[in-house]
Amino acid sequence: MNFLSVENFSVDLKEFKLKNISLSLDKGDYCTIIGPTGAGKTILLESIIGFHKLQTGRVFLDNKEITHHLPEKRKIGIVYQDYALMPHFTIYRNIEYGLEKVYNKKTEKELIRKKIAEISASLNITHLLKRTPGTLSGGEQQRASLARALAVEPNMLLMDEPLSALDPSTRRETRILLKKIIKKIGMTVIHITHDFEDVWSFANKVSIFKGGEQIQFGTILDVFERPKNDFVASFLGTLIYDGKINKVTKNYSVIDLNGLLLKSSEMTDKKQEVTIAIRPENIIITDDISPYESRRMNIFEAKLTDIVRDGNVFFGLVEAYENCFKAIIPHWTVDRLQSKIDSNLYAVIHEMNVKIL
Amino acid sequence: MRKINFFKYFLVLLSLIITSLLIIAIGAFFYVPDWNDVLQNLFCEEMKFSLFLSLWTGVISTALVMFFAIPIGYALSRFDFFGKSAVKTIIDLPVAFPELVLGLALLLLFGNTPVGSILKKMGLDFVFTQKGVVAAQFFTALPYSIRIIKSTFDYINPRYEFISRTLGYSQLETFFKISIPLSKNGLVASVVISFARCIGTFGTVLILAGGSMGLTNTLPITLYLNISYGNMGMALTSGIILILVSFFAIFVFEKTEVKL
Repeated sequence: MNFLSVENFSVDLKEFKLKNISLSLDKGDYCTIIGPTGAGKTILLESIIGFHKLQTGRVFLDNKEITHHLPEKRKIGIVYQDYALMPHFTIYRNIEYGLEKVYNKKTEKELIRKKIAEISASLNITHLLKRTPGTLSGGEQQRASLARALAVEPNMLLMDEPLSALDPSTRRETRILLKKIIKKIGMTVIHITHDFEDVWSFANKVSIFKGGEQIQFGTILDVFERPKNDFVASFLGTLIYDGKINKVTKNYSVIDLNGLLLKSSEMTDKKQEVTIAIRPENIIITDDISPYESRRMNIFEAKLTDIVRDGNVFFGLVEAYENCFKAIIPHWTVDRLQSKIDSNLYAVIHEMNVKIL
Repeated sequence: MRKINFFKYFLVLLSLIITSLLIIAIGAFFYVPDWNDVLQNLFCEEMKFSLFLSLWTGVISTALVMFFAIPIGYALSRFDFFGKSAVKTIIDLPVAFPELVLGLALLLLFGNTPVGSILKKMGLDFVFTQKGVVAAQFFTALPYSIRIIKSTFDYINPRYEFISRTLGYSQLETFFKISIPLSKNGLVASVVISFARCIGTFGTVLILAGGSMGLTNTLPITLYLNISYGNMGMALTSGIILILVSFFAIFVFEKTEVKL
């Protein structure tokens, strides 16, 4: 049985409904939840903790049903985007507050002190223990909030956009620290984020939410490479195309996209119409195909129409047989490719990266 | 050329005129009376009784108001329940009621009705008694206090309470360890405003507890009775004490920065 199982979970909060959510995680899994704002991601976390009454569904944690357990009995920690450190407590007291429920505050005072010292050292907040939350920076507060949640050794940890309020440099540092700690203790985590960097850095499972519904849940590769529908594909930036089966052999299938024949290493029972998915990072745009020549590569002529920038990533847009492809291009090739806009180049896609949906 | 903002100056002028009128009106209390007379009145038996009665009834009423307003304000702020808007409206009603009407309603309730009779048998006779002063003050101040406390809890991020629950604390423990300490400023403001309302309640006290000299004459009743006897000195002394209490209440209220 899975470590966490959420079955047909529905919550009705008058102004918002969460409908039929199911997900399951094994011990040590790291699941990121992504989706547009207002998709119900935070409500899901707060419902797993037990703050919202379920209309239908059940929750199992570590082989026990906890559907009707009070939040204080579930032993699930939570870290919020706004840290929610008690403003009337010092950082030390914030961490001690939870530990006082685990250990006897009179007879085990020394043990509590030791635990606080350990967790503070691992999160680099020892020098902040005497201060109050209002005097700390965002990154410091987030580390303190993480220390408070982890100090009580919860069964699992839920994080609601823990890094999104931090500046880019602090976010990078906190991401590295968080990854190190989570890996060390092997904690099962659900982490809401809008940042794909978080998804790629941490997750082995992903859940996509929209309008109170879970659109897709699975392993990170599965969800990114095989989006269930147009919404997921467009949200994750995966390219999807409708084509026809041209040929199916023992080792590969050939798909016809408006006359462009693409090999896929995947077999299919479908006879006619088929949808394929390709990730932009799996398409190479080049004017020299010699390094890629192999039977397993799809190599075709394509016209470079534009180069666009999205954040720190450059995309080359190419057209072939009335199909548009979007490929991630390395920074050092941008200048060279700029001069080749409107020229014919080559697009290269490994047959393993053409996924039949 | 820069245009004169007539709209802005008109509004500012209006505010200044009205504020000046209020200051002059309140100031009248301090420049009209003969201060020797005020001091003499302050220490006369009638004023001492009135002040002492106002203080002890005010303290008891405020304690009762807080005892009920904290849980009601918290419930209205945190929970959704059937009839919540009805409860809110009914609790708020006395704010809009004229005090005399509220007093009359209480007189009818505690008079010759089954409720009144049961309470009387329990030793709680509110009609024309000092207990009636407390009841009148309680019902007048309660809605104000609930409003302040509700908005105080509204301002506290419920996530602090959520976190406390995930750390193993029950709802009740969280209420006492997190919610109450975080609402300290609002509670202090509520105590002060409730006390000021209790001390200053006139109409409700007059109708329910009566205006009996030496029995139920709180400061506002003393002011009223002395005005009707033509004893301006005593009336002004009561007024000055009430104004000082109000100033203190507003000062504390502003200091605590509670938003309504």
